[in-house]
Amino acid sequence: MTAVLAASAERRRPAFSLGRWLEREGVFGWLMVAPPVVFLVALVGYPFFYGIWISLQDRQVAKPGVFVGLDNFIADWHNPVFWQVVANTFVYTTAATLLKMVGGLGLALVMNQDFRFKNLTRALLLLPFIVPTVLSTIAWQWILDPAFSVINWALMQTGLANPGPSWLGNPYLAMFSLIMVNTWRGLPFYAITLLAGLQTIPPELYEAATIDGAGRWGRFRYVTLPLLKPIIFIVTMFSVIFTFSDFQLIYVLTRGGPANATHVFATYAFDIAMGAGQFGQGASIALSMVPPLALIILAMAIYLRPAKS
Amino acid sequence: MARIVRASSRRDVLKISALAGLGTLIGGSPGWAAPKKLTLMHESSFIPPYDAYVKNTFAPAYEKLTGIKVDYDVVSVGSLLTRVTTAAENASGPDLTAIGFNWAFLFDDKFVDVSDIALEIGKEGGGWYESAQESVVVGGKWKAIPFGNIGQLMNWRTDWFKEAGYDKFPDTWDELLEAGIKLKKAGHPFGFELGHGFGDNHGWLYPLLWSYGGREVEADGKTIVIDSDETARAVDFCRRFFKETMFEDCLGWTDVSNNKAFLSEQISCTNNAESILWSAKKDFPEVAKVTDQSENPKGPKGRFHMLNPLCHAVFAHTPDHKAAKDFLRWLMAPAQAGAWYDIAVTYYQPFLHAYDDAPMWKVEPRNLAYRDALKTAHLPGWPAPLSRAQSETIAKFVVIDMFAKACAGKSTKEVIADAQGQLKQIYRAT
Repeated sequence: MTAVLAASAERRRPAFSLGRWLEREGVFGWLMVAPPVVFLVALVGYPFFYGIWISLQDRQVAKPGVFVGLDNFIADWHNPVFWQVVANTFVYTTAATLLKMVGGLGLALVMNQDFRFKNLTRALLLLPFIVPTVLSTIAWQWILDPAFSVINWALMQTGLANPGPSWLGNPYLAMFSLIMVNTWRGLPFYAITLLAGLQTIPPELYEAATIDGAGRWGRFRYVTLPLLKPIIFIVTMFSVIFTFSDFQLIYVLTRGGPANATHVFATYAFDIAMGAGQFGQGASIALSMVPPLALIILAMAIYLRPAKS
Repeated sequence: MARIVRASSRRDVLKISALAGLGTLIGGSPGWAAPKKLTLMHESSFIPPYDAYVKNTFAPAYEKLTGIKVDYDVVSVGSLLTRVTTAAENASGPDLTAIGFNWAFLFDDKFVDVSDIALEIGKEGGGWYESAQESVVVGGKWKAIPFGNIGQLMNWRTDWFKEAGYDKFPDTWDELLEAGIKLKKAGHPFGFELGHGFGDNHGWLYPLLWSYGGREVEADGKTIVIDSDETARAVDFCRRFFKETMFEDCLGWTDVSNNKAFLSEQISCTNNAESILWSAKKDFPEVAKVTDQSENPKGPKGRFHMLNPLCHAVFAHTPDHKAAKDFLRWLMAPAQAGAWYDIAVTYYQPFLHAYDDAPMWKVEPRNLAYRDALKTAHLPGWPAPLSRAQSETIAKFVVIDMFAKACAGKSTKEVIADAQGQLKQIYRAT
């Protein structure tokens, strides 16, 4: 009897099957996660830590590096242009992000209404975001050019200015122009993402708010805004990261000029690393972006976190 | 076709792939059977026939002569330094490359010593211009073969200058200022780049500084001397020159801006390479008729120009140094180099005296000033020897921004102090 039971138990014990093993949650989960992890480690993690290593060296192009500790960061600290770059980056990021946030929300609210050619308008809205940045920036270069600027032409034709403003020659106007172009390019991203968020808000909430006596502003303040908060947080976080580390737009339009008035971290780091061949110093400038960026995102995460109700 | 594929079993496919791979390894290995190949990297030339000539004429001719295939790898304008850096850092990529400025110094260890062929070429070509050696001789060794200078000179409108009473280009900066004031009043301002471009800013601001006796650093490469009366006079002149002859936008200009402004008849004078006249002849013949080019004006301490050399170097990682040097030697022989210079009609001004009276100078006499300017041309950082600090000073636009900030309204003392501080930091770190 015992022998029979043992034999049948042996028969019932499943043979090892690769297919079944792979289907186990623990194994399958890791398999799914492995490719992106490998991808991130190889293409983000490795360059990041290599960048930290280089920033601690006096590493000139085509020469071996010499470990210098924090010397590059100390040199940055004493470099007045570096502080100008810090100020420029903060002004550029803050102004452009705020404009994109307010403009994008407004645009999303308009797009959420019913009107003719709504779908076509929504598709056209994405154009600035779809066109490659370098191409659209070259178009802006023409728009802001003193000789060919359509803006200046209009100003002169209407007698408002003659000659028109120097959009890229005046240090303040150059920064203003870059913020405007960045806003123009980034607005659709905000608008479309917030529009998607708006469409998930149940209409019953608006009806209930209306019955409770809420007007247009009340509905926006107490229904729309709180429910959009998580999306505003995500989209603002992305926008801050992209704007803070912007390169193409500035490099094409001004290359950081006039007199460093529009240099930001990415353009300055590139000039130092690739132009001057000072990889160590370039890496230290680029890495200086990380702590303020991390702090901004942390502050945003705290301020914009969803209420616990 | 679909049926054939379906008929093959997975095992058959594997067999066929394995055999094909083995066949490639045995029969198709480039190391064994393919002809030798050399790759020359160049920045896309402003003169398109110049690049086409290498591909269509030089490469086939050299392959016919030696069996070595020549690949001409053209990279976009402004990206050559990045590509040279990548090749040098990874010790792979092209065998030869075009270089500029002080790259022979920056990549010293990564380039082959070509002194032997440089001396031969010099001897054959009637001797090198002194300025040719300024950018390629590192520690007594030639690290590249100079090909030509892309000079930066004064481009001006003869008709408008004539209306203002000038039959020839003013000889001194002060006379040019005087002419500029009259021309601006007549609605024809000057336009000189003061922004963060690659070359048209350096092209006139360094010569201006030198012509007033100003320098960044002494010939010892250590003593910072930017804070001098000479620099102050150059800065004061520049501020006045900007305010009284130009308009605000020049402060933000990059290299294309002055070309566009000149060709669209917005400005009467600028500092540029031969490209303005070249484009004008092609697309704006009426503008070309009234455009001339002249050497930079003289200052109290003389006349200067910027050296903007195009040279060829052999990467140390190239497996066959001799083959690469032989190609370079062949390329610089009068039969080849002469034809290459001719194609670009003096856009690249030869550094060899044998070409001083070459027929190409007669094709467009208005270009002759570029040849004469070679005698007084220097690299930014002159008279100091080649150094990495030179590159850093350029990348940080120290001298350009000193002038630009003064033009934007800062005091002379302040802008010189800023430049002095930056230069001290840069040269101390060297």
